[in-house]
Amino acid sequence: MAEEIATRDVEVEIAGERVALLPERALYWPATGTLLVGDPHFGKAATFRAGGIFVPRGTTAAALVRLDAAIVRTGATRLIFLGDLLHAREGRAPETLRLIGEWRASRPGLDVVLVRGNHDRRAGDPPPELGITCRDAPVVDGLFAFAHHPATLADRHVLAGHLHPGARLSGPGRQFERLPCFWIGRQVSVLPAFGDFTGLADVEPDEGDRVFAIAEGVVVEIR
Amino acid sequence: MNPTSPFDKLDSWFATKGWKPFAFQREVWRAYLDGDSGLVHAATGTGKTLAAWLGPVIEAAEPNEPRRRKQGLRVLWITPLRALAADTAESLRAPLEALGVDWTVETRTGDTSPAQRARQQRRLPEALVTTPESLTLFLTRDDVVEIFANLRLVVVDEWHELMGTKRGVQVELALSRLRALRPDVRTWGLSATIGNLDVALRALLGVRRELRAADHSTGGRIIRGVEPKNIVVDALIPPAVERFPWAGHLGTQMLPQVIDAIEEGQSAIVFTNTRSQTEIWYQALLGARPDWAGTIALHHGSLDREKREWVEEGLRTGRLRCVVATSSLDLGVDFSPVDRVLQVGSPKGIARLLQRAGRSGHRPGATSRVTCVPTNALELVEVAAARDGIASGSIEARLPVTRPLDVLAQHVVTVALGGGFIPAELEREVKSTHAYADLKEDEWRWVLDFVSNGGEALHAYPEYARVVVRDGRWLVESAFLARRHRQSIGTIVSDGHIAVQYLRGQRLGSVEESFIARLAPGDRFVFAGTPLEFVRVRDMTAWVRRAPNVTGAIPRWQGSRLPMSDSLAAMLRERLGEAARGELRGPEMTALRPLFQVQARWSRIPSPNELLIERVKTREGWHLFWFPFEGRLVHEGLAALMAYRIARVAPITFTMSANDWGFELLSVQPPPLEAALGAELLSPVALLDDVPASLNATEMAKRQFREIARVAGLVFPGLPRSGKTARQLQASSSLFFDVFRQYDPGNLLLSQAHREVLERQLESSRLGRTLERLTRARVVITEPKRVTPLAFPLLVDRTRERVSSESLADRIRRMQLALEKAAERG
Repeated sequence: MAEEIATRDVEVEIAGERVALLPERALYWPATGTLLVGDPHFGKAATFRAGGIFVPRGTTAAALVRLDAAIVRTGATRLIFLGDLLHAREGRAPETLRLIGEWRASRPGLDVVLVRGNHDRRAGDPPPELGITCRDAPVVDGLFAFAHHPATLADRHVLAGHLHPGARLSGPGRQFERLPCFWIGRQVSVLPAFGDFTGLADVEPDEGDRVFAIAEGVVVEIR
Repeated sequence: MNPTSPFDKLDSWFATKGWKPFAFQREVWRAYLDGDSGLVHAATGTGKTLAAWLGPVIEAAEPNEPRRRKQGLRVLWITPLRALAADTAESLRAPLEALGVDWTVETRTGDTSPAQRARQQRRLPEALVTTPESLTLFLTRDDVVEIFANLRLVVVDEWHELMGTKRGVQVELALSRLRALRPDVRTWGLSATIGNLDVALRALLGVRRELRAADHSTGGRIIRGVEPKNIVVDALIPPAVERFPWAGHLGTQMLPQVIDAIEEGQSAIVFTNTRSQTEIWYQALLGARPDWAGTIALHHGSLDREKREWVEEGLRTGRLRCVVATSSLDLGVDFSPVDRVLQVGSPKGIARLLQRAGRSGHRPGATSRVTCVPTNALELVEVAAARDGIASGSIEARLPVTRPLDVLAQHVVTVALGGGFIPAELEREVKSTHAYADLKEDEWRWVLDFVSNGGEALHAYPEYARVVVRDGRWLVESAFLARRHRQSIGTIVSDGHIAVQYLRGQRLGSVEESFIARLAPGDRFVFAGTPLEFVRVRDMTAWVRRAPNVTGAIPRWQGSRLPMSDSLAAMLRERLGEAARGELRGPEMTALRPLFQVQARWSRIPSPNELLIERVKTREGWHLFWFPFEGRLVHEGLAALMAYRIARVAPITFTMSANDWGFELLSVQPPPLEAALGAELLSPVALLDDVPASLNATEMAKRQFREIARVAGLVFPGLPRSGKTARQLQASSSLFFDVFRQYDPGNLLLSQAHREVLERQLESSRLGRTLERLTRARVVITEPKRVTPLAFPLLVDRTRERVSSESLADRIRRMQLALEKAAERG
């Protein structure tokens, strides 16, 4: 159903800029060719395995496939990770780094930036050969500021991660769902966690905030 | 006979107590001395403990027994509740002196003090009372061979409570280990009378001497204790049943009559079905009778040990007039002063009601009486049905759990820690248990792989290794993993429990983390019978202070909803059949006449050969209420199956609830019921495909996986001071479930989750046979204008599963954000 996914982005305006919310769990800013991705937590499964807890392989590879699909589809020239690129120091497994390296080598022209998050501080910056520029938050670009923690900043709209936002939905007939979501606020917007092996925290939006849930390859605004 | 023989001493000891040994006790002693193992069954408080205990004591008192000062561990006594350990040890000590046996009896449970642990590390007593979990911990010690070198007897107390659970499997595995270490050890189980004692005996003794192909007998004796006491079951009948609630959640309407009943006796136990109910009734009683403060108490499994012990002591001495309790007081301990037992809410099962009745009249020959207190009108039918069941002796069977791979994976790591193992030897040992007698070769292989390289023979995970192989021997080398394994041993799932403690010190007990997560500082709640104000969470502890009044939420604990037993369900259908014919026998059924009249006028009272479906439209949507009367577990499976099959006819989303009487399917659109009935809705054909498919459509397997993830060592209970390393390794079981399903769909722990749901729904509860019955039944569809008395409890049940044939996006377009944190499913 690749064709269907290609038509299910949602365009919204944030701080006067048109951006697209992608069902790949990423945000695209067409004016600057920038793809934003929050909380990949690469190597989380490997961290668990190193701690004697079995988690099957495949989460990193699948996340990279999804990431690449979003890059190809949007034609992004710049990729910004909003923190927590690597889960932990123990998760810097050769296999995980090799997969990321192979993907990086296949996109040599792409400008890749990491805005450091709390996990990055312990896990350490990615190896230099990956060609990822590491910066501390906030990274200001036009009216946006990119950060890991969703804290407000004067004169800028902050795009952040960290929360792993999830929407708890209920409807008639006592139906309910819980899904990853984008949370668009007046001064701060939060992206869903990109990684598969990450949990959800329920959002508590203020009046006027908008919430977009990701449902099986479709982005749907929640009333 | 030699005048100084131990038997004579024994008789004179009994005589000093004014007792005489029962014939069955003598029979057990003889059997033990002959080298036999076996199972003793009888009602609680009829001398089973002494029957099992005095065999080895007589042996030790034999004049020709060598008089070595310290003999090492001779008797291991396994009890399911650590709260019972101290009392059991006390009653084991009682006859020792008179018999001149110089033994020490100690306990070893999660409550044992560090000092005593250290002493036991150096030297064990001759008899040790312990829990399954603590026994398993012994098996992780590397001096396990020496510890059990002198072991002669293992007693498993309350075996009927353990055998139907994974803890029972844990005991089976531990027993197989002990038999491997000490081939001549004898095993005796103590059990209440249950419907399948032969199976209970096999599960206890295992497939013994399996290498001697000629001898298929398990050996082992089944010895019956004294006859059951006279049992009286009655009910408090509400004065005006038509004004009585149809679905009582709080159900304290009967409070005045309950108070009268408590006042009739010296000392009473009020049993409820859930811990929350215990808190509610305690508050209600205290509210109505403030003068009882100090003489009434509450008791449930989440309370702190000191508080529980204080209550038990109060019951023993008769200081307490009344204790409100859950099943935490079902077992063991003799509360002689108790002369009144009340059961609030459905009795749920015949054996269970008998057990609770037995808490009163705790003397051989005395009459035991239990008075049932309905929390909704229909429960009166269950009381009548339970009385029928007791009269006809329809005691439920308990089915032992078979082949749970999570428990086996835990055991394999345990043995790897306790000196290591050689796979072929351990395999033989494991297969000598009833639980794993049919373990398949590939399952065994998979468990070994799972603990060593992740369970996938084709992939290597160099960074992963719980168990390593050194010279053919499988061991745990990492001290970190060893410590974590010991900390997480056990099969009881406690879903993220968090301690509740006063800011100024005293611990009250524990509640589920999810309950605390919903509280904001300053919120009030009631716990341990005390109004509390929540202050903050820190170090896995919810800190509280006393609140001035009793308003506030009451915690709910997961997994406290017991289904009605199959025996009781069968009796219930008979009673309703009588009502359908207009025959109302006995005070409970007579009292229900007005309610039956409403049901008959608005809809119908179904006969045993009918399946009643009520279709009602409300503001919420279309409700289909179904009444097979088969108990909640069968109904959960049946609801998923019916929803799945109807959803195949047209795109539709159902939410479902189930109780012991029936189930409800609720949808926004009108459900194509007639079309589905025409298309073999109730057919048992294709069950093998449709049932797994319908269960997959729900979250049942995912929920079942919670327990499996914990037992298999994927998810750990939060530990204080566990630091950052441990926090990096925290993920929820549902996250594991999703990742396994996506990236390792062949993982056998996933299959196990499905199998456990299926077995629960299909085999133990006979979903297939229910469908056979329903296929032959006449389907009666009624369209009442209002929700009927039978349907009302289903309508108000908030626990919901979902089955849908619509796309997720279509579904969520109708929804909105649930802003209340405690939404739905609570």
